[in-house]
Amino acid sequence: MTMTMSEHDKIRELLALAAADALTSAEEKQVAEHVRSCIACSNELDAWRPIATELRRLPTPQPSSWLVQATLARAEAKLAEQAEHDWNRRVMIVVVAFAWLLTIVSWPVFQVVSARFGNLLEPQFSHTLFSQTWFSHTSISFAAFTALGWLAGGVAAVMLAVRQRGERRLA
Amino acid sequence: MAVDADADVDVVRLRRGDLNALSELITRYQNRLYRYLLRIVRQPAEAEDLFQQTWLRVVEKIRSFDASRNFDAWVFTLARNLAIDHLRRIRPQSLDDPLANSWHSETVADRIPCKDDTPLDHALAAERRTEISEAMAGLPMMYREVLTLRFEEEMTIEEIAQVTAVPVSTAKSRLRRSLEQLRYALEARHPGGTWQ
Repeated sequence: MTMTMSEHDKIRELLALAAADALTSAEEKQVAEHVRSCIACSNELDAWRPIATELRRLPTPQPSSWLVQATLARAEAKLAEQAEHDWNRRVMIVVVAFAWLLTIVSWPVFQVVSARFGNLLEPQFSHTLFSQTWFSHTSISFAAFTALGWLAGGVAAVMLAVRQRGERRLA
Repeated sequence: MAVDADADVDVVRLRRGDLNALSELITRYQNRLYRYLLRIVRQPAEAEDLFQQTWLRVVEKIRSFDASRNFDAWVFTLARNLAIDHLRRIRPQSLDDPLANSWHSETVADRIPCKDDTPLDHALAAERRTEISEAMAGLPMMYREVLTLRFEEEMTIEEIAQVTAVPVSTAKSRLRRSLEQLRYALEARHPGGTWQ
């Protein structure tokens, strides 16, 4: 045998993996060449093979049908919950975008209407301090009303989400 | 481990929220996933619970799954993470220690019938498998895991490395050590002779 002892030991370490078909093609070739000339390693490989064979033939434990059905039911419920969550999120995005649009659009409309309304009430003072003060107060009221509306909407959304989560837990 | 094109299609459908795809995936993976979990935790009740949790996690995470990756490895990684978390929480020592009450005590109905030539062959083969099962159940978790991934799931070393989150060289040496440990355990049952 021309192979050195260290090479022999190295090949011997690969024999278990050879039985497990877990070698690279280069390693496989190396092992095949070695076992042709080394009876000890050839016997060792033969000892590994039945272990690998029996490991591949171990019986497969089967999950019970109720487990599969229960898993499917739970997973489907989860999927439905996710779909509902996604739908709610999309609706929320659309509603928020619409509310912002409405708020932005309502400001110039409000300015035009309030200016005309001020002129109608006091035409001679339309450009006076009275008119500006009235407009300013009305603007603050409108801004406060808008902020209050947003706050109420936010609180309602949170309360609705909490309630939905509670209902889902009970279900 | 063969790449299953049907499974890939089902994964795409599941990402779109298709319930039928979920049903098909569970049916397709039920035996393999349950077997893998049972090999790790060794208790059928715990394996069943983890089986359910794994599928809930699949539903939860399917959108973040990279379709270019291997779905098999991904599912088994999810299952493994849940099983290890479970073992760390319930029985931290079981990650390393053998356990007397093991998964191999399955009923006959749980087992796939084998195809042996004669009743004697059948009996001998059954005996060999029982011995292997018992010896394997006595190994530490990381060895049981790598054996089941290689021989039962037929994963390549690269796939095993992916599932167990270790380098390929580590997966390979772990497989070798697990086989050596198994062989020692089998030969210890037959003092003076070899296990065949």
